[in-house]
Amino acid sequence: MGMLEIRDLNKSYDAIHIINGFSLDVTELTLCCLVGPNGAGKTTTMDLITGRQKPTSGQVLFYGDDITGLDEHEIARRGIGRKFQVPAVLKDLSVRENFQVAYSRTTNPLRNIFKFHSKGFERKLDEIGTLAGLNERLDTQAGLLSHGETQWLEIGMVLMQDPRLLLMDEPVAGMTEIEIEKTARIFNQLKKTHTLIVVEHDMGFVREIADVVTVMHMGSLLAQGTISQVESNPRVKEVYLGNEVH
Amino acid sequence: MTNIYHSKPAQWAVYLVFFAALGVIPLFIDDAFLLNQFSTYGVYGMLALSLALCWGFGGILNLGQGIAFGLAAYGMAMTMQMQAQDPENDPIPPFMLNNSLDHLPWFWEPFWNTGLGIFLALLVPTLFYIAFGSIMFRSRVSGPFFAIMTLAMLSAWYTLILDIQPYTNGVNGITPPRALQVFGFEIDPYSSTSYWVVYTALLLCTIGAKLLTQSKFGLIVQAVRCDAERVRFLGYNVAFYETVIYTLSGLIASIAGCLWVVLVQYVSPAQMDVTFSISMVIWAGIGGRLSLIGAIIGAFLIQGAQSYLGDEFLNTWLLILGGFFIIVVRFLPKGLAGLLEIVLGRIGGSPRSKSPDAVADGKLVAAGE
Ligand SMILES: Nc1ncnc2c1ncn2[C@@H]1O[C@H](COP(=O)(O)OP(=O)(O)OP(=O)(O)O)[C@@H](O)[C@H]1O
Ligand SMILES: [Mg+2]
Repeated sequence: MGMLEIRDLNKSYDAIHIINGFSLDVTELTLCCLVGPNGAGKTTTMDLITGRQKPTSGQVLFYGDDITGLDEHEIARRGIGRKFQVPAVLKDLSVRENFQVAYSRTTNPLRNIFKFHSKGFERKLDEIGTLAGLNERLDTQAGLLSHGETQWLEIGMVLMQDPRLLLMDEPVAGMTEIEIEKTARIFNQLKKTHTLIVVEHDMGFVREIADVVTVMHMGSLLAQGTISQVESNPRVKEVYLGNEVH
Repeated sequence: MTNIYHSKPAQWAVYLVFFAALGVIPLFIDDAFLLNQFSTYGVYGMLALSLALCWGFGGILNLGQGIAFGLAAYGMAMTMQMQAQDPENDPIPPFMLNNSLDHLPWFWEPFWNTGLGIFLALLVPTLFYIAFGSIMFRSRVSGPFFAIMTLAMLSAWYTLILDIQPYTNGVNGITPPRALQVFGFEIDPYSSTSYWVVYTALLLCTIGAKLLTQSKFGLIVQAVRCDAERVRFLGYNVAFYETVIYTLSGLIASIAGCLWVVLVQYVSPAQMDVTFSISMVIWAGIGGRLSLIGAIIGAFLIQGAQSYLGDEFLNTWLLILGGFFIIVVRFLPKGLAGLLEIVLGRIGGSPRSKSPDAVADGKLVAAGE
């Protein structure tokens, strides 16, 4: 049984079916890459897992609990963290403050009124700031970071949350080769302690990190397996890899 | 090098100087009317402070802060009115007799007791803010839509109070004949006692609000202002945070409402008039809604100017004020406090390192319009 089970998920807007009977099992401590052409429904799947959108039918189980239709913050508190496709950081706040907000050990506002220091934050900040290469930039306003740094800040924020399952929507988009290599190293490190679902178009990156590759097409599962199995699948070649430029 | 404007010790030092200056005012003024007027400025300062919290820090534009102010003011006026009545011989306030009521309405009964009356004056608006806020924020009403809802709600309360004339004396309002008595002690509105009461309330509210903005709660509220959606996915119940900051800001406005009646011994639906609630937004906007003390000073300056210049310009005063507000919103989105921030930044030679919110400004202007 997987840590995350998606059962026969459907999402439609009026007559347009965006997700069509999609099912997926994610095993604990693996890294699953979700690939597929533009508009395949990858981001929508993440929206359905994290509660940003509610499915028309179907179920999402996390450690056997039905989390379908819960609010975003409840799902996040159960241990699912998410990085968005368009990097979403708190632009008016400094990098340090972004990390402080992401360090969400106490979420009750009435308790946080009396909180001026979070226990263990400094140690965690040091660890993640180093990992994300942002230790020099802690006092910079997040809106002034470069694109790569912003991606890293958001990845760092997700790690700050200390989730059990990490959903990464196109984490290396817009990064340089060197940055991508570094990200691959870190993801390979992370999957020893965390479970990850990574949406990515960069097949080179996918090859370096994926344990399992899931291919989506028009809202349903097209193929699943190791990277070589998927790459040799004729259907996948036809709808996806055939027109990818490498 | 960083801008001293952002230094926490420097900020607290400014608060110290500010309140020290307010503390010596009564030593130099022996005109009771002038002192009373200064005390009312303190009340306006609290209102501007409450808006800086809610609108500046929380990003929740509230055009109906008069709800908390007005409801609390009515509660206080009812308490003071009942102090002037006698349970045996004269249990019904004169205006009710004029409206041919022959018994005291049930919701006036608790106001026989001064402590209970003041408690209710604060509790009723607070409960209203919790209820209204959680309904709105849970259904994710925000930005201009929330502002319009607060405006609608304010008008509803205004109309209600106006309409139930026998219980509220309608448009004439309530004019308690005597000053407030607490523990057998009279708070004469034309004495330094009332000045000190307002001073203490303003001081405590300001310190509380400042600490609030520096707490983890304050940080998350600011994060919600930047991007509520992002904050949800970090595990925070955004609606809960919004309700709390909205309610706390309402509580400060309620305290202000109580004190205002102590100072002027009068309340009428005019305190729930739309213009008054919008003035509060203007004070905070001109003073600087991201600076608590800036907002307070904004209220002092504008109300002060209105008292002295308003008479000369009469009808054009509102036009002048409106024009001034538009200029500030357009060129100084962070108000006069923002001007200070820029000046101190230049003096410190800071190369726009941390704060000037180039990114945020566009959004701030939009919110201010
Ligand atoms: N609110 C909406 N109403 C109608 N259609 C929508 C809505 N949101 C998304 N869609 C459609 O759903 C489909 C799936 O979109 P989604 O963003 O999930 O794709 P994706 O696989 O993440 O693509 P990409 O690789 O470009 O990010 C798209 O065709 C999109 O146009
Ligand atoms: Mg997408």
